[in-house]
Amino acid sequence: MRSGRPGAGVTRRRRRARVQGLVLLAPALVTLGALTLYPTVWVVWLSLQRRIPIFGVNHFEGLGNYAFLAADPRFWKAVEVTVLFTVASVALEVVGGVAAALALRGQRWGSRVALSLLLLAWALPSVVTAKLFEWLYNPAAGLVNYALGGVALNWLGDPRLALPGLILADVWRTLPFVTVLCFARLLAIPAEIYEAAQLDGAGPVASFTRITLPLIRRILLIAVLFRTLDALRSFDLMFVLTGGGPAGTTETLTVYAYRSLFQAVQLGLGSAVGVVVFALVMAVAWAYLRALRREGLAA
Amino acid sequence: MIAPKEKTRARKAVKLRCSAGRMSALGAAVLLVNLSLLVLSGCGGPPESRGGPVTLVLKHAKILGPVDPIPRLLAEFEAEHPGIRIKAEVLPWSSDEQRQFLVINLEGGRPGFDVMMLDCIWVPEFARAGWILDLTPSVPSAELSAHFPSAVEAGTYRGRTWALPWIMNVGLLYYRSDLLARYGFQPPATYPEMLEQIRVIRSGEGNPKLEGYLWQGKQYEGLVVNVLEGLWADGTTLVGEDGRVFPDPERAQHVLRLLRMLIDSGASPAWVTAADEESTRRPFGNGEAVFLRSWPYAVDLFERPDSPVRGKVGLAPLPRHEAGVPAPGSTGGAHLAVTRHTRHPAEAIELARFLSSTRAQRAMTASGATKPTRMALYADPELVRGSPNLPRIHDLTLGGRSRPVTPYYVMISTTLQPELSAALVKVKTPAQSVADARRRLEFLLRDLHE
Repeated sequence: MRSGRPGAGVTRRRRRARVQGLVLLAPALVTLGALTLYPTVWVVWLSLQRRIPIFGVNHFEGLGNYAFLAADPRFWKAVEVTVLFTVASVALEVVGGVAAALALRGQRWGSRVALSLLLLAWALPSVVTAKLFEWLYNPAAGLVNYALGGVALNWLGDPRLALPGLILADVWRTLPFVTVLCFARLLAIPAEIYEAAQLDGAGPVASFTRITLPLIRRILLIAVLFRTLDALRSFDLMFVLTGGGPAGTTETLTVYAYRSLFQAVQLGLGSAVGVVVFALVMAVAWAYLRALRREGLAA
Repeated sequence: MIAPKEKTRARKAVKLRCSAGRMSALGAAVLLVNLSLLVLSGCGGPPESRGGPVTLVLKHAKILGPVDPIPRLLAEFEAEHPGIRIKAEVLPWSSDEQRQFLVINLEGGRPGFDVMMLDCIWVPEFARAGWILDLTPSVPSAELSAHFPSAVEAGTYRGRTWALPWIMNVGLLYYRSDLLARYGFQPPATYPEMLEQIRVIRSGEGNPKLEGYLWQGKQYEGLVVNVLEGLWADGTTLVGEDGRVFPDPERAQHVLRLLRMLIDSGASPAWVTAADEESTRRPFGNGEAVFLRSWPYAVDLFERPDSPVRGKVGLAPLPRHEAGVPAPGSTGGAHLAVTRHTRHPAEAIELARFLSSTRAQRAMTASGATKPTRMALYADPELVRGSPNLPRIHDLTLGGRSRPVTPYYVMISTTLQPELSAALVKVKTPAQSVADARRRLEFLLRDLHE
């Protein structure tokens, strides 16, 4: 009965099962549609409008907002800041995170305590982190300048230092994420592999590049994916620490979108910036997913 | 505003789940009731009993000063108006957050407050947006003429009164009278004079910690005010007759170059590009600078018994760029406005008028660090005994000028801030930043009219 007769009854039952499946899926699909698809389409639609609600301005404008952005130095500066921030902070986090994970593995005792301490930084809300660094960077009373031997660096006020300062704060906050992922993977590598390599005459450098790195490669790719998407959208840290200043040198695309949306109440222009952020994030996610698929990590 | 959407969403959700045959009718009803309760509690205010006392909500920023005068004033008002109770709620600390709070709540349609304190630069915007009540019929013009004309102007839009003047401010020059006297100087009338005095005094004092001229160059509203005062001192302005920003771009560049020169020449320390009122007031108050551009609030702090500069501070108009062209300080301050859709307009207007009355302003001046908008109070013998500088501040305020009175002021200012800051810290040339600011504002303001 199960495989034999391809009769009409079974087909009907199958069809019914398919309909039932769709019905069961419907709440999830509708929720997803309402929560992600609808706002996305709405923002794209808004970005084609000139809309300033408090002054009653509301009309269709086509690509005018995008044309303005294409020639807007502040927008391109924000793109530059966003990309610089993302590349630098993700790179430092990965290198530092792997180093910290290796150090943790090599630690004979206290690695659990060290891990919990690391996680503390990751667990802090980023606004708290930002406030913390505001004090650390204080030109007169900050610990950073004191530790550097009492120099008078104006970390958040100097256009050349503000972005590096932000990147450092971000690295401090999210390095533990990479560390924990790597550390978990490192624990799963059998010690015999290293012993065998040692017998074959491999030094520490060779066993790192030939064994450790290839084995943590996949988990690193995933960590980099998460961190990159986060960094591209980052807002809280710069908003609290510098507000995008000095002179717009730390204004990321999301801060720019916020300023256009909530300060200038330009819903159209702000949405256009939002769409650009969305496109950027999607493009990066797509590229990573392709890379992961080649690794056989994603469907 | 949210209610209809929420309801249809709720209905949709209920329908879906019922059609999936997963939920009993009872469950659906419970869900619907819960959701509608949620909707009701989110949007409806507390029901007010008829005939009971009227409750007004006053939203105001914290009034700086040794004593908060508001609670006592409100108690007096309640005592005189037995049917009215006042709930005072304090707005967030920073001016940006205050405005955002007010804008979001007023745009939402049910703000939950009746009387609000407004920075004077927001009044035309709020009036244009239709959020505040036209007070013209309830406030006789004779009542307004007691206030500084620039304060009345800031509360007026399209010839009507939208907000009552409450607190006054003006940009002025503080100087160390002891140091100037030691070298035989009068307060400087022009920038070249001021630079010369700084040079002579600093070399004479031999104190490497003594700065010259402190002002506010951080990327915020204060920077726009400082540049605006520079524009006025140079005989131009920010918004021209035709509504264009920087009607004279060459002079705007000249002003930015001058501000940069102050830093390059060492007359002002490099950190003024990240400085606001307080971070410049403190070093001057510690005796570490010869000149300071600030507001009148600082004078009371300089004259406190434990102040190192007590009795050594003079007040003067801001220096001019060249002799002949006046250099008005920018006026500022706070106004009181009434929510357009308040349920108790008469009582709310009564409260606003009470708070801006001579009696209330006298009490605030006596106990706080704020200055009144009523001119007569600056000659009030009792107040002058407490702060002897009041007559001087009166004259400086009369010479002041209000920032452009336009509904788009905040839009203009927030657009200018990063551009002006970029010119000061040399990320851009003055020409580039003026051109970028103009281009951007032309796009943002292109079809907006007064």
